[in-house]
Amino acid sequence: MEETRNNTGHNLGIAALITAIITFVLAVIPCVGLIAIIPGIISIVLASVGLSQATRTNAQRGLPLAGLIIGIIASLISVSQIFVAGKLAGTAGKWPGEIQNVINDVQENVIKDLEESDVSIKIESNGDKVEINAGSGKQDREQTLEDLEGATTTENDTIPPKK
Amino acid sequence: MIQSLRKSETLRKIREGFRDEPYLILNAVFTGIIVLVFAYSAIFSPDTNNYPVACIHEKITGEPCFSCGLSHSFSLLLRLRFDEADSWNPYGFRVFLFFVSQIIMRIVFSVLWTKHEETRQQLIILDSAGSLMIFLISFWPFIESILTSVF
Repeated sequence: MEETRNNTGHNLGIAALITAIITFVLAVIPCVGLIAIIPGIISIVLASVGLSQATRTNAQRGLPLAGLIIGIIASLISVSQIFVAGKLAGTAGKWPGEIQNVINDVQENVIKDLEESDVSIKIESNGDKVEINAGSGKQDREQTLEDLEGATTTENDTIPPKK
Repeated sequence: MIQSLRKSETLRKIREGFRDEPYLILNAVFTGIIVLVFAYSAIFSPDTNNYPVACIHEKITGEPCFSCGLSHSFSLLLRLRFDEADSWNPYGFRVFLFFVSQIIMRIVFSVLWTKHEETRQQLIILDSAGSLMIFLISFWPFIESILTSVF
């Protein structure tokens, strides 16, 4: 008597296994790992249907079972990529603080430069000329103070300018 | 004459195998997929930078991940520009070798499968264990990054 081989769920098992292995490879690569959840779910569905068909008809269950196991593991790896993204986001989260520090430093330097500098604005319109000179006059004031102090004191007790 | 008969016998076995043996179907599909990966790397050029796949991590966090530059690296390896490939992604070469080894293994194991029917069980075990080992070695930096992120 010739033995007949029952192949119910066989094709679904092959499809599930192929999808599961592709998902497995994709899930490990961080760039596309999160997308791998889609083929992962597809492989689990295919394997489950194939497995249920094979169980009902008492056919071989090796392929859909392998597809199901690899599909589940691959999907878990894919989901775990969220943690990798979280870690990267944590690193990225430090950037705003660092940028803020740089901005503060630049702002302080600009204010310091403006305090010590003289500003001159010249406007010419239809032959009329307006010139505005503004400045902190810090050096002049320091010189005046030196002169005044020099008249009464012998020692130079003026606070030296900041370097 | 005898050689051509043997060849036709092997071809007949392969043709029949595709109908009945899932192992050969799997090998054929994976070979096709790997060929597609190489075709993708060959079509899209690192000079024009026209790759359609973008890194999700970089889009979400703004930070590049471990596998960023892998497509560029693959394309450059296919063009035998090894130094540039290494600068795009230092792990590109080992992942590339995984795909090369897999394409060779699929072909060799398919031939062995059709020729030596008595050792098929051992062949599957050898193939699975070997592929898993090569996979772990090639993708270890990525697996390590996942493990350190999770635990």
